[in-house]
Amino acid sequence: MSEERQEQGTPLQSRLLQIGIGIGGALVFPIIAILLSFVIGAVIVLITGNNPLAAYLALIEGAFGSAEDFGRTLVYTTPLIFTGLAVAVAFRAGLFNIGGEGQLYIGAITAAWLGVSLGGLGLVAIPLALAGCLVTGFMWGSIPGFLKAYFGAHEVITTIMLNFIGINLAYYLAQHPLRQSGPIPGTESIPYGARLPLLGLSLGRANFGILIALLAALVLYLLLWRTGLGFRIRAVGLSPGAAEYAGMGIGTNTVLALAIGGSFAALGGGVEVMGVYGNMDVPFVANLGFNGIGVALLGRNHPAGVVLGALLFGGLTSGAQEMQFATDVPLQLASVLLAVILLLVTATKLVEFIIGKRARALAGVHLEKGLGG
Amino acid sequence: MEDFLGSLGPLLQSTVRYATPLVFAALGGLFSERSGVVNIGLEGLMLISAFAGVVGSKFSGSAVVGLLVAIGAGLVFALIHALMCITFEADQIISGTAINLLALSGTGFLMVVIFGSGGTSPRVNGFESVAVPLLSAIPLIGKALFDQSVLVYLMYVLVPVVYFAVFRTPFGLRLRGTGEVPEAVDTAGVSVTRMRYYGVALSGMLAACGGAYLSMGLLSAFTEGMTNGRGFIALAALIFGRWNPLGAAGAALLFGLFFAISFRVNQQAVPIEFVEMLPYLFTIIALVAFGGRAIAPAAIGRPYRKE
Repeated sequence: MSEERQEQGTPLQSRLLQIGIGIGGALVFPIIAILLSFVIGAVIVLITGNNPLAAYLALIEGAFGSAEDFGRTLVYTTPLIFTGLAVAVAFRAGLFNIGGEGQLYIGAITAAWLGVSLGGLGLVAIPLALAGCLVTGFMWGSIPGFLKAYFGAHEVITTIMLNFIGINLAYYLAQHPLRQSGPIPGTESIPYGARLPLLGLSLGRANFGILIALLAALVLYLLLWRTGLGFRIRAVGLSPGAAEYAGMGIGTNTVLALAIGGSFAALGGGVEVMGVYGNMDVPFVANLGFNGIGVALLGRNHPAGVVLGALLFGGLTSGAQEMQFATDVPLQLASVLLAVILLLVTATKLVEFIIGKRARALAGVHLEKGLGG
Repeated sequence: MEDFLGSLGPLLQSTVRYATPLVFAALGGLFSERSGVVNIGLEGLMLISAFAGVVGSKFSGSAVVGLLVAIGAGLVFALIHALMCITFEADQIISGTAINLLALSGTGFLMVVIFGSGGTSPRVNGFESVAVPLLSAIPLIGKALFDQSVLVYLMYVLVPVVYFAVFRTPFGLRLRGTGEVPEAVDTAGVSVTRMRYYGVALSGMLAACGGAYLSMGLLSAFTEGMTNGRGFIALAALIFGRWNPLGAAGAALLFGLFFAISFRVNQQAVPIEFVEMLPYLFTIIALVAFGGRAIAPAAIGRPYRKE
């Protein structure tokens, strides 16, 4: 009896060890990218004639200093989880979704429209409006999928072009059919009863959106690793040839991966409107879609990693205001840091230089190369 | 009919204007992609140089100095992309996307540091239109082609020069070889790494000319995010033009025409938002209609490792 238990223990221990090594390995690239970007950021702060240590302390204080600050960080984290998931699910299928920005706008305008029209229903309007975002995001996200699968148009270019089209479409709707009567360009406001409630817990402006975002991450995890569809998406991403040989339609899975990504980003836009702004103003908040790319890569295209990556990006954005207030460093430094992290996060040889040859096995980004079509 | 001809001249003139930054950036992208490095950062390279040009012109009072500063900035940022993609073997599309975000946030940051606030910079000296004697008097196309800024004339010269350099010189042969069969170039004793650095560096300097034309030719100030997707459209023009300078320039002219049309559509009849969608919509249509048949350089996107 005791021997049996012994035998059960050993594989468990080695499995835990394996998981530990796996997580450790996965963190190498993100951690090196983050540390180096902070060093580069410190140099930039020095050049502007400020004290980097003071700037970073103010940044951390601003992001996590009090419950209210943390609440604000959660507000900034929420949409980045959604756009990060939108990029991650496409990456898993070997596709690069740069269309998060436009997809988020499509979701935002959907939520603003449904939230106002169904506002009389109170809280019931929330799930209905968010379901609407899932549908419009799915449809919008499937466009580059179809263009890729049936016309060979590369998704990198088409998703970028669709950003401009989606943003303009949302702005048209916000300024014409859905425009509010007042002087400020934007849609009518959703009644307070039909908005996402605040979390409370002295977390300031943090609302239930963060819980929806965490739920979305869990759903994507289950979808990717516990369903046949998820298996096919990952198979197509890891080895398109083998997947096709096994009878998995590459075209169908391409369309689905990008469409599901579109749903996540659009849900992010919807949660932003129903939780933070209450309507869609023109101009609307920018770059959440693009920063989702960095979030996904920092998080190694894993839903749990995406949540952590979004928390880091959200914290930087949130703390930057305090930093600008306490020192003379413009808050745009945070966006510069985010860009530098993205620049460094796949730099294989750089990491190899720092930790040795094992780096190559840990690189972990598999993309179909080239823009030819 | 007279009305139509009367408006055709100005339409052609603005077509050339809107095409010019696209041609510069597409020629730049050509050098990079022919050497085997995807350069999706063209957008950012144009943006950072548009800003650098304005800063250079503002503090020197000279548009020429501005252009040189712009080219320097384009070169530096292109070398960052090269360092990441070639030396550090980062993913090329991700590095390019990071360059775009870095340019967007970096110019936002520097606007505050240098000019005290974001948005639009002060006006600076730019490149005024210079009419070429005689040629500009040709009916219909004269003003369109030969009453433009010096940078437009530079673009006219560069298209055949780039064609010659890429298809008729030993340098061009090596560059194309590096993008198609790097192993063969390596065996012939030419450094693949060096050729790719040249390709990406040239892409930065050419995209910089496009950026400088935006902020010192089309306009005479920098506005945050003013490239507005032009780098990506240039990339589409490059694909559309099959990685050939003449084809890319032709495609860029076509996209320039779309821009020119979109600014001339009666906004009473069509809302401005739909007008602004047109160039991007045309880009997708062009890509769908012709892009699928384009064949990229064979070794594009892959880091080269010596065996």
